Amino acid sequence: MPEIYFDSASTTPLDKEVYKTYIDLLQRYFYNADSLYDKGVEVYRLLEKARSNIAKLLDVKSDEIIFTSGASEANSLAIKGLCMQKKKGHIVSSIMEHASVYNALRQMEKVFGINVTYLKPDKDGLITKEMVESAIRPDTFLVSLMAVNNEAGTIYDIKGISALIKKKTGILFHSDMTQALGKIEVDLKDVDMASFSAHKIHGLKGSGFFYRKKHIELEPLISGGQQEFGLRGGTENAITNIVLAKTLRKALEEREKRYEIVKELKEYCETKLKEIRGVKINKSANDIAYILNISTSLKSEVALNALNAKGIMVSTRSTCGSRENEPSRVLVALGIDDSEAIRLSFDYFNTKEEIDYFIETLKGILEKYGN
Amino acid sequence: MEIKYEYILCRYGELVLKGKNRRDFINALLRNTKAALADFKDLSYEARHDGLYIHLNGEDFFKIKPLLEKVFGFVHFSGAIACDLDIEKIAKTALYLAQNAKAKTFKVVAKRQDKRFSLNSDAINRQVAGVILRNTDLKVDVHDPDLKLYITILSDRAYIMDEKIPGAQGFPVGINGRALCFLSGGIDSPISAYLTMKKGLRVEFIHFASMPYTSKQALDKVKELAKILSVYEEEAILHIVPFTDLQLAIYEHADESYAITIMRRMMYRIGDRLAKKRHITLITNGESVGQVASQTIESLSVISSVASSLVIRPLAMMDKSEIMVLARKIGTYDTSILPYDDCCTIFEPKNPVTKPKLDKCEYYESKFDYETLIEDCLNKIETIKITNKEKDDDIF
Repeated sequence: MPEIYFDSASTTPLDKEVYKTYIDLLQRYFYNADSLYDKGVEVYRLLEKARSNIAKLLDVKSDEIIFTSGASEANSLAIKGLCMQKKKGHIVSSIMEHASVYNALRQMEKVFGINVTYLKPDKDGLITKEMVESAIRPDTFLVSLMAVNNEAGTIYDIKGISALIKKKTGILFHSDMTQALGKIEVDLKDVDMASFSAHKIHGLKGSGFFYRKKHIELEPLISGGQQEFGLRGGTENAITNIVLAKTLRKALEEREKRYEIVKELKEYCETKLKEIRGVKINKSANDIAYILNISTSLKSEVALNALNAKGIMVSTRSTCGSRENEPSRVLVALGIDDSEAIRLSFDYFNTKEEIDYFIETLKGILEKYGN
Repeated sequence: MEIKYEYILCRYGELVLKGKNRRDFINALLRNTKAALADFKDLSYEARHDGLYIHLNGEDFFKIKPLLEKVFGFVHFSGAIACDLDIEKIAKTALYLAQNAKAKTFKVVAKRQDKRFSLNSDAINRQVAGVILRNTDLKVDVHDPDLKLYITILSDRAYIMDEKIPGAQGFPVGINGRALCFLSGGIDSPISAYLTMKKGLRVEFIHFASMPYTSKQALDKVKELAKILSVYEEEAILHIVPFTDLQLAIYEHADESYAITIMRRMMYRIGDRLAKKRHITLITNGESVGQVASQTIESLSVISSVASSLVIRPLAMMDKSEIMVLARKIGTYDTSILPYDDCCTIFEPKNPVTKPKLDKCEYYESKFDYETLIEDCLNKIETIKITNKEKDDDIF
């Protein structure tokens, strides 16, 4: 049976070079990056070089990059770290956010009584700067909006919204850029804080980083020592962080080339899907090539299981909510019947042959189990 | 879209040079350029009288550019596309560059090295501009254009360029000899080294380390600075002098107010002897008049009188702010300000003398056998080679 992976928005296989370097470093450098003897200092030097390389790749300063365990932690640090400083006020966000933003906001509503406006997308699936503008209040201190939606693949107008927020004083702009990094252009000049993950760009799980402009005061989530500028205690996960530099470099170097490949795959898949009765392509006005959300006449779970039985791996929705019974707030907000939605997410290693196989398999499944 | 250049045209600086000096200049520059661009294996070079022509052979101009900007001896350089000596082909190439430029206005600047070409410069300018005007939205502005298109006509072909990128200027490193440069880890000494190299001298560094009073990080910082500076001369040689015993002896025998003065005299003695040993004529360092107590003209006079080598202080008459601008420009500033103690700050006296007297220096120095300690320092010097090539490149 073939093994066809159409779920790269959920996670990606590890880059071979990153893997090689990681194994090599694991064996050589177990030392604590904060130790002051030569070996420890060497690990520290490599860690800081990784930080500086990452900063250079994104055109920001070294001390604005904080290593985290992933984008979820980075999102928590942005939102909770800031709310612990402010303790009151108003945040503008959206119903479309990843659970790590959305639930952090819900928690801040509960704990501090922070007010949050959750914007809903318009009929095109977009969150516009006009919506943000009308939601902003005098006590708004944060706008948190993702760059690319992980379930529908919608690309939001971060630049436009940024221009709006820059005109207002006292409002910070945070963006969860997990699904944008290595896929579309990311410009950190647009935001004050941003969250990123390594394993979505062929890096390690348990690895990510957080960008924050130097002047922004945050409370740490993990209290501890001097690590990560006092924003994240605990012995550095040095090797993991060191190889993140390579992961990012490769992802950015390959970004445009890979996007072309994936775009062609997606277009090919869409054309083929249009030939199948009972399949609907869920589009917004501006989608990323990496994600294709469709609805079929089958229950999502049934389709997923049937595809799985044929060696095809897809998701029904955000993988982080896959074990919940609640309907997806994201798909509901887009007017998609989430009980019938399937998310395909492609990557550069996928092929047209795989798509052909998927199309044939889907046809068979729909014939067999569909109404 | 990124422009696909075929050549880089590099123009020599210091054109006043004539005869043999000029040949040496060009040969050294060719050698240094090849060394700086050694990673780009497909390049081929042609050193002509009017400039160095680098054939890219498919290598990426934009990766080479930052390295070429650090080769002393070029006044400017340009990415170029070559074509046959045919005005239609020249215009077509110029049009390609114009279409890919972010510009609203332009001007064509043609120059014939070979005057046999049928059209004169003015006629070339007009014909090429005509083609661009007809095929783009660009407008001509002869006074302050966004884009200048340079056309150089040689005997066998034409080169078309869209930008003159400032070179590092100066003389090719090596043609004016060698210098020994004090490197402390502060902001000034790397700049003195930079200016020394810019004048065509190959620099060796000497650093005075006071382990364990100074940390390994302090030494790493000095190595890092040497590494940043090594791009200008392929490989830097760093002499690390174990200075602690001598320094402790100074503090034991001299009045605290004279400690820094005597310490500097010892550094000059060691530098002087090392320079002679390595056949180096010149000592340079980051001293700047009036910056600290040991850099008043009285201090400088008393201090450097112990050395018989030629001493030049490139920063002597510069303001700190001017030095800092250079440090930021060449990228040493961020490393220099890392907060590790060096051998000067660690024993810093509360009231250093600003007008030291020579006889007093000599009196304190007569109280201990510094000659043996100096010889000891010289014998224990650790000499290392530092290049800008990363040993850990494969990790990143």
